[in-house]
Amino acid sequence: MDRKQNLTALLFTGPFIVAYLVIFIYPTIQLVHLSFTDAPLIGPGAWIGFKNYIRLWNDGQMWKSTFNTFYFVLLTVIPTTIIGLALALMVNRLSGWFQSIILACFFLPYILPVSVVILIWQWVLDTQFGIAQPIISYFTGKPVAVFRDRYWAMPMVAFITIWWTNGFNLLLFIAGLRNISQDYYDAAALDGAGRFKQFVYITLPLIWPVTALVLTIQLILQLKIFDQVYLLTQGGPANATYVMVQYIYKQAFQLNKGGYAATVSLALFALIVVLSVLQYQVLRSRGQK
Amino acid sequence: MRGLMTKALATAALLALTMGAQAKETVVWWDFLGGGDGVRMKQLLEKFNKENPDIEIQATTLEWGVPFYTKVQTSAAVGEGPDVMTYHLSRLPLGVSTGTLREITPDELKAAGIDAKNFTPANWEAAQVDGKQYAVPFDIHSVVLYYNKDLLNKSGLLGDDGLPKGLDGVENFNAALKKLKADGVEVPLSTHTAAGDSQWRIFYSLLGQQDVPFLKDGKVLDGGDEQKAVDTLKEMASWVADGYTPANVEYPASIALFTSGKAAMHINGVWEVPTFTDLAKDGKLGFEWGAVRIPVLYNHPATWADSHSFAVPNNKGKEISPEKLKAVLTVIDWMNKNSLFWATAGHLPAYLPARDSEEFKTMQPNATYAVLADTAVFDPSSTIAGVASPIYEGMQNYFVPAVNGQLDPEEAVKSLKDELQGLIE
Amino acid sequence: MIRRLNIAGGLISVFTVLCAVVWAFPLYWAAVTTLKPEDEVVQSGFGLIPRIWTIAGYAFVLLNTNIARWYMNSIITSVSVTVLVLVLSASCGYAISQLRFTGRTVLWLAILASFMVPTQTLIVTHFVLMNDFGLINTLAGVVLPQLIVPVTIIVYKQFFDSIPKDYREVALIDGAKEYQIFWHVFIRMNWGITTALAIITFIGAWNNFMWPFIAVTQQAKMNVTVGITQVDDAFGLAYARNLSGAVLAALPVALAYLIFQRRVTQAIMLSAGIKG
Repeated sequence: MDRKQNLTALLFTGPFIVAYLVIFIYPTIQLVHLSFTDAPLIGPGAWIGFKNYIRLWNDGQMWKSTFNTFYFVLLTVIPTTIIGLALALMVNRLSGWFQSIILACFFLPYILPVSVVILIWQWVLDTQFGIAQPIISYFTGKPVAVFRDRYWAMPMVAFITIWWTNGFNLLLFIAGLRNISQDYYDAAALDGAGRFKQFVYITLPLIWPVTALVLTIQLILQLKIFDQVYLLTQGGPANATYVMVQYIYKQAFQLNKGGYAATVSLALFALIVVLSVLQYQVLRSRGQK
Repeated sequence: MRGLMTKALATAALLALTMGAQAKETVVWWDFLGGGDGVRMKQLLEKFNKENPDIEIQATTLEWGVPFYTKVQTSAAVGEGPDVMTYHLSRLPLGVSTGTLREITPDELKAAGIDAKNFTPANWEAAQVDGKQYAVPFDIHSVVLYYNKDLLNKSGLLGDDGLPKGLDGVENFNAALKKLKADGVEVPLSTHTAAGDSQWRIFYSLLGQQDVPFLKDGKVLDGGDEQKAVDTLKEMASWVADGYTPANVEYPASIALFTSGKAAMHINGVWEVPTFTDLAKDGKLGFEWGAVRIPVLYNHPATWADSHSFAVPNNKGKEISPEKLKAVLTVIDWMNKNSLFWATAGHLPAYLPARDSEEFKTMQPNATYAVLADTAVFDPSSTIAGVASPIYEGMQNYFVPAVNGQLDPEEAVKSLKDELQGLIE
Repeated sequence: MIRRLNIAGGLISVFTVLCAVVWAFPLYWAAVTTLKPEDEVVQSGFGLIPRIWTIAGYAFVLLNTNIARWYMNSIITSVSVTVLVLVLSASCGYAISQLRFTGRTVLWLAILASFMVPTQTLIVTHFVLMNDFGLINTLAGVVLPQLIVPVTIIVYKQFFDSIPKDYREVALIDGAKEYQIFWHVFIRMNWGITTALAIITFIGAWNNFMWPFIAVTQQAKMNVTVGITQVDDAFGLAYARNLSGAVLAALPVALAYLIFQRRVTQAIMLSAGIKG
C-alpha cells in the first residue's frame, strides 16, 4: 500500500469520512455524554451520573411508550408480511400491462409522503363525513372517532401504516417468487401434487428467506415509528399511542430536557442495535445459501 | 483593485446608513389566534401597520396549544424566536422556568408609557415571577354558556328577560338537560368532548364553585379534594353517558352543532363570540342566541379564566436590540389602547381605561357575562399549569377518556394526580 | 380438472382486481374530493364524481399559503440531498471497492455498523449540532443530517466489485487519472444504478418528515410535506382545501414513480439487498 494510493483513497473517501464523523460519530458520542447530565435542549448541564438511567427505569410513561411501541410492532410486522405475501401471490399470477396496473394500485401509497397519507385517512375516517364510517357503523352501530378512542387508535394507526408501506414488501415478495424456478412446480405436478401442496412444500420454504428479510426489515422500521402517531393522535388518548420516539421528542422539544431525552434515545438505540445484529445474522445466513 | 474595494465598501456603508434612516423597524409577531378572535386580531394588525408608518408588524398565526408553545420554546432556545408573541398568563411560570421569556424591566416599561395602574393588581402580578415582569396583560377571557333562545324557550327554560332560567344546581341543570332531550332537542349541551383543554375549563370552573383547590402547598388534589374531583368528573361524564352531550366531539364540530341549531346550549370560550355575532349579522344563524356566565351547579358562582398577554422571547444569542424592544413595547401599548375593539372578539380588556369605558359597559353580549370577572378562578400559579402544560396534557390523556366513558373517573383522577405530583417533586 | 382450475383462477383474478380497487380507493377519494366545492364535500352520500367541478381548493392553497415557497424548499433540499448522497457514496464505494489503502477494512466495517443506527435517536444531538453551526431554520440544516445513507455505498461497492479489475489497470497504464477512471468507466457503466439510486434518494428526501419538521421553526423555511400539516384553518370546513395541499405535495413523487416505475422497483430491490 503505497502513499500515493493512500492519498488517492483519501480524496475519494475524505468527504464521506468527514460527514460520517460530523453527523454520525460526534452526535453519537454527544448523546452518550448528554445522557449523564441534566442539560436542557440547548446549553450545558451538570454531570449527574446515572440519575437519568435510574429515572428511566422508574418512569411509567417510558414503560408505557415501550409497551406501545412493541404493541405497534406486533400489529404491523406480522400482518404486513402476510398481506404482502398474499398480494404478491395474487399479483404474480397476472401478466403484462394488467399486472403493472394492479401492482401500481398496491404500490402507489408507498411513495407518498407521510403527511399526505395521514391527510387522506383523516378524511376517509372523519367521524362526521368519512366515507369509511358507514363500514365502521355497520359493526359498531355508530360512527367512531377512531383516533380519539383508546381501543381503536393504535390498531388504526397500524392499519394505515400497513396500507402505506405494504408496497415495499409486495415488491420483495414478487422478486422472491420470480426467483423460484418453474421446474420445481413442473416436477411436483408430475408427482401429482395439487396447488395447495405445491404452495406448502415448494413456495413457502423457498420464499422463506425473503419472508425473514421482510420480517426483520419491518421490525426495525416499525420500532422507529413517530410520524404517523405524531400527526394522527399525538400519543393520545390516555397515552394509548405514545411511542418511544415521540417520548424522545416530548422530553427534548416540549419539556426542554435534553439530558433525559438523550437517555431515552440511547435506550431505543440499544434496542434497535440488538435487533439489527439479529437482522444482520439473518441476512448473512441468507447470503450464504 | 484595493481602491475599488474601498469604494464599494464606502458606498455600501453609505447606502446602509441612508437606508437605516428611512427603514422601518420590523416586528416579527407570532400568535395562536386561529379562532373567532383571529379575524379581529388581523384587523387590529392591519390598523396598526396603517397608523404606524415607522413600524411594520410581520405576523404569523401558528396552531394553538402544544404546537405553538413547543415552537416558541425551541425557537427561543436557539435564538430563532419572534420579537413579540401572545402568551397565556396561566403558562407564565412554566415559560419562565424553561428560560423562554425575557424580563421586561421597569425602566423599559416606563419609557414605553406602560403603567401598572392601568391594570388590576392581580392581573398585572400574574405576569410576574419573583417580582420580575415577563409580560403585559392584554385581556381576560373565560368560558361562557352560549344558548339557543328558541330551543330553551320551547322547553320553558327562558326567562322573560331573555336569559336562561332554572339551570342553577346540579339537579336542576340535569333536569333541564333531560327536559330538552324529551322535547326533541338532538343535543341539549354541546362541548368539545374530544379536547382536554375545554374539559379542563369546565372542570376547573366546577371545582371553583365548590372551593376545591386543585393545587395547594405543592399537593395536587390533597386529601378529601380527590374525592370531590372524582365526583365532579363523574358529573361531567354523566352528560355524555346520558346522551345529553355527544362523545368525542372535536372543537369545530362542537361549534357546528350549535350554529346548525342542533344544540340548545354550548360551553365554549368567549373568543367564539365573533363567530356567532358575524353569523347572526349575515342572517345565517336561524335562531336567537345569547351568552351568559356558566350556571352555578354547586355552592357559588365561579368560572375558570385566563389572560392573553404579550411577551418577548428570550432569544438566546440574539438579544433584542433596544430599538427593536422600543418598537415592540410601542406595539403592545398600542394594542392595549385599542383593546376596546379586541373586546368585540368576546374578551374582557385587561386595560382598565378600556374596560371601564361606557362603550364597553354597553357592549353585548360581553356586558351580560362581564360579571364573571368578579368570581374568576385562574389556573394555579405553578410550572405544571397553563396552556400546553402537564395539567393540560393530563386532561387530554385521562379526563377526555373519562368524560367519554372509556376510563373510570376514579382511575383518571388518580393517574392525573400521581403524574402531576411526580412532576412537582 | 382444467376447467375447474380456470374458473378458480378467474375468481382469484376478479378478487385480485377487487382488492386493488379497494386498496387504491382512498387515493381516488382524496383526489376527487379536491375537485368538489366545500359544501358538496360535506353532503352525505358517495359522490364518486363531483357534481360541480372546481379547483377552488387548489386556488386557495396556492394563493393563501406559502406552498410555492415550501415547494421550492423541498426541491432545493431534496435535490441537494440526492446529489450529495450520490457523490459521497459513489466515491467512497469506489475507493473501498478498487483501491487498497490503510484503514479500508475499518471504514467498511464502520459503514456496515452505521447501517443499524436509527437516525431518529440522534434528533436531539443533531438539533444541538445544527444549532452550534447556526443552521437551524436554514435549508443546509435540513440537508446535512440526511447525508449518511450507508446502503447506497454498499450498493455501489457491490456493483463496482463486479467490474473486472483489468478495466482499471488498463486505464491506469494508458495514463488515465483516477477520477477519470471513476467517472468515465465505473459511473458510466453503472449509470442505470445511479439513476435508480438517485430517484429513490430523491423520493426519500422529499418524503422525509421528522427532521425537516424539527429543524425548521419558521413557516417560510418549511418543506412542503411539513407545511401542508400547517394549512389547518379554524374557520369552517376545509377538507377540499387540505387535501388539495396534500395532492400538490404528493405530485412530484407520484410522477417520479409513474415515469420511472421500473427504476424505482429496481432501487427498492437493491436497497433491500436483492439484485434486481
